[in-house]
Amino acid sequence: MSRIRAFTMPKWGIEMTEGTIAEWMVHEGDTFKRGDTLCLIETAKITNEVEAEYDATVRRILAPSGAEAEPVGALLAIFDEGAHSDAEIDAFLAEFRPAEGGLAIGAGRAAAPAEPAVPSAEARPARTKIETNRPISPEALRLAEEEGVDLSGIEGSGRGGRITHQDVVRAVRGPAPLATKGLAALVADDGAVFASPLARRIAALHGLSLAGVKGTGARGRISKADVLALVPPSDAIGGIGAPAFMAGANRPEIVPFDRIRKVVAQRLTQAKQDIPHFYLRISASADALLDMRKSANLVLGCKASLNDWIVKASAVALVRHPDVNVQVHGNEIHRFPHADIAIAVASPKGLVTPVIRQADRMRIDQLAAESRRLIEKAQGKGLSMDDMEGGTFSVSNLGMFGIENFDAIINPPQGAILAVGAAQRQPVESPSGGATFETRISFTLSVDHRAIDGAAGAQFLQTLKFLIEQPEGLFA
Amino acid sequence: MAKLMYRDAIRNTIFQEMQRDPRVVVLGEDVVGGMGTAGGPEAIGGIWSTSTGLYDAFGPDRVIDTPISESAIVGAAGGLALAGKRPVAEIMFADFIGVCMDQLWNQIAKFRYMFGGKSICPAVIRMPCGAGYNAAAQHSQVIHQFVTNMPGLKVVMPSTPEDACGLLRQAIRDDDPVIFLEHKFLYGMSGEVSDDPEFCIPFGHARLARAGLDATIVAAGMMVGYAEAAADELARDGIGCDVIDLRTTSPLDEEAILDSVEVTGRLVVVDEAPPRCSLATDIAALVASKAFASLKAPTEMVTAPHTPVPFARELESAYLPSPAKIVAAVRQTLSYR
Repeated sequence: MSRIRAFTMPKWGIEMTEGTIAEWMVHEGDTFKRGDTLCLIETAKITNEVEAEYDATVRRILAPSGAEAEPVGALLAIFDEGAHSDAEIDAFLAEFRPAEGGLAIGAGRAAAPAEPAVPSAEARPARTKIETNRPISPEALRLAEEEGVDLSGIEGSGRGGRITHQDVVRAVRGPAPLATKGLAALVADDGAVFASPLARRIAALHGLSLAGVKGTGARGRISKADVLALVPPSDAIGGIGAPAFMAGANRPEIVPFDRIRKVVAQRLTQAKQDIPHFYLRISASADALLDMRKSANLVLGCKASLNDWIVKASAVALVRHPDVNVQVHGNEIHRFPHADIAIAVASPKGLVTPVIRQADRMRIDQLAAESRRLIEKAQGKGLSMDDMEGGTFSVSNLGMFGIENFDAIINPPQGAILAVGAAQRQPVESPSGGATFETRISFTLSVDHRAIDGAAGAQFLQTLKFLIEQPEGLFA
Repeated sequence: MAKLMYRDAIRNTIFQEMQRDPRVVVLGEDVVGGMGTAGGPEAIGGIWSTSTGLYDAFGPDRVIDTPISESAIVGAAGGLALAGKRPVAEIMFADFIGVCMDQLWNQIAKFRYMFGGKSICPAVIRMPCGAGYNAAAQHSQVIHQFVTNMPGLKVVMPSTPEDACGLLRQAIRDDDPVIFLEHKFLYGMSGEVSDDPEFCIPFGHARLARAGLDATIVAAGMMVGYAEAAADELARDGIGCDVIDLRTTSPLDEEAILDSVEVTGRLVVVDEAPPRCSLATDIAALVASKAFASLKAPTEMVTAPHTPVPFARELESAYLPSPAKIVAAVRQTLSYR
């Protein structure tokens, strides 16, 4: 007997909780071959193609493209070899329970025990049934039931006191706090000039005379546009006697969070709220490292950046201090033997953190090549989930912007992140008691105190400083 | 400038225009005021005192006391206008417009269009209107909402003595028929009025009566004073309102309304008429379709309910918009999130 197969929202990486069908490449009734592209799924981090793992026919599509995000494990479509009746498909659909992970396969029945793999992002309280004989729109009633709104507190604004959806929305949201901008200067209408009220107001704000201005509004009236054409360009405003404030001139451009921004916001908020951060600061002389970089680039024929060297030094230091090379999962510390170092990269889509795997095992030229590959990918067609998954430690460098030092937010589940400042020439006391100049870099290590203690972090930084100041150790 | 009452501003303007232009004639019920009484002409001076002194100055050929027939008054005004006069007709109560709807709606409003623009019909029909005098359902109505709906008519609703003067002069000199609506409650209002005999206010040019950045209140005629009172009360709490006095509802100064809502994002429309198919809904629709992106809250409408005007004093005051209702509406729109 051929099988009915459930196609569910795959789970790409530990952080993925939901995905959205960006586009279906197959439609109901289509037959596809193994390796064909079924659909594009968009997650918080990337958009990926999903390839068919077997030959089959599309019987049902349950999640249309471009709709709401579906949780991992949610049923997206039903496939079979085309042999089942619609009734059998319906029965399969009725019995289907999502299973953990990618494809759940059922031979006419649910294969896996019922388990909501990942709770839906918005767990709503159960609907409360509302019995009322007051007039109310169906959508308003649905919302009131979902939100558990007490209808007795709502005065219906519709005809005959009918409660509208907007009434319930207002009840749910509550009144806005009073925020006012106050009065504006009232510019009297003089008979000499024919201008709209706003035109007159703008002219007064800018100290412009409207006498003799030719109006392009109705019946030759001077309109807002006519006055704005006379207003000096904005860089000229602000000089002596210029108006300080212009009503409506500073309205924001509203940019809704895109998927990446949403996930970054969610994860950073969570990290900063949940993780007890503490910060350790150190600086190291970089002169030896800069010399070493020059000759190593020449010898190895690579173009390793200063940051690549810092990643390398961090990786070596992490292996020596495995207490810092950790992830935190619930009540467990996961300690890793090798350093998978995530590097913070500004991509056109926002901050991304591709991972250089087992960086401690790489020679500097290999590491430089890998970091270059990841950065180019991030700035080009985009990183895959594999590129960003995991990581035991992060390095974030703002030195190229001249930032002296800063405190980074830990990228969970990692236990620490290193913030790297600019390499700066600074005076230091020389052994002879005079002053000499050297290039110094300042580092701030943000540490998750649940998993890493102060001494462990400090020892790590000490080793990092040693490796940077005596970089021969990086080739040991 | 001179301080005048609204009714005196109207009478003075008619007087000056009759002096200036011999084509201007006045007609209506009891416009002479006292004709046929023991006191003789001018003994009473017209029930609204808006035509006192005209008969003495200009005589029976130019100040015509008509029978109690609104259809005759409006019909005669239309005929006079077609024949080259500049009639200023008065309907004693706007409520009586119903009996002359053919003359007004199907004739005066259409002449210029039906004659291919070869004829004009420069008639002014003045109509005292509005509630608040405990005068019951048949003598208390406003009619701007349905005359505004009639293409071919211009509709004027002055809110101050000065506007009454400038708009009436414009109405008399205008080549199109003008419905000139005077709220009965405003007749006693005093204010500075320009004594320039050429002072005209162009139609379709709203007045900004108060300026603020938080909400836009749109009103016309009698409701402007209420809106100003509401704005002044709100200003004490730091809430600034633009109060737009439309002056004319046809043509409508869309630009003034939209410009203001684009700044404030919140609209309150005040209208003495019941809310269905009214000036209030017209402006709410205008803003919803042309400034939707600027709106931060649903438009609030402060209007009479959909009922006849009640007789009982308490009911009548509950029926009418008031400054307190406008204040509540502004606060309601500010509380939206």
